[in-house]
Amino acid sequence: MVQSSPGSDNEDYVTPRWVKVFGTIALVLILIFAIIHLTGHGLGGHSLHGMGLKP
Amino acid sequence: MPMKPGLRKLALTIHITSSVGWLGSVAGFLTLAIMGLFSREGITVQATYLGMDWLTTYIILPFSIAALLSGIVQSLGTSWGLFRHYWVVVKLLLTILATSVLILHTQPIRSLGREAAAKPFSATDFRETRIQLVADAVAGIFVLLTATALAVYKPRGLTRYGWRRQREQRKESAPEKSSI
Repeated sequence: MVQSSPGSDNEDYVTPRWVKVFGTIALVLILIFAIIHLTGHGLGGHSLHGMGLKP
Repeated sequence: MPMKPGLRKLALTIHITSSVGWLGSVAGFLTLAIMGLFSREGITVQATYLGMDWLTTYIILPFSIAALLSGIVQSLGTSWGLFRHYWVVVKLLLTILATSVLILHTQPIRSLGREAAAKPFSATDFRETRIQLVADAVAGIFVLLTATALAVYKPRGLTRYGWRRQREQRKESAPEKSSI
């Protein structure tokens, strides 16, 4: 969303509110995911050992 | 570069088909993952994980790559552009994220399928991995539904780049209008 008067050179760029909300939610989810993995509470990894498929 | 209407419709058809197919096949994967987690019959569990391996390799992965590539072609070939509107950028990021996670998890799914083919699982075998596959599928469906909603609602908002391009275009068209 751009706050402007059409054709004006003094327009200010404004990031839309939905993008800010979306970005905040994404950031929180990434943080939760990272914390769960770093504290070792994840359900497994991506390797065969991590996924519990090999002894 | 704008595409011709016929080509644009073809690209859009490919994009919608692959995106909807991707969502539907992940829903099928979730059904199998739940079945594999809770079923007590060894043969059913075995068949479930073999099926999930095939479904991932031959349906979900091709659909995800087709959706990603056709989406990029679609945006570059229309006035929407790839980096001009936030909804396009967010949808692109979600698709890249979902495809990356899928590729990362293909190998463990394949290994689980091989293990299932070798011998039937008991209820406790690879339990954490089996729970993780259910969680992955739920997260995948959520991400794909979000991407679908973005494509349908197309929330307004230009990126900084899109905003600059729009201003440049306005400036270019202004002298033409004044000269008419």
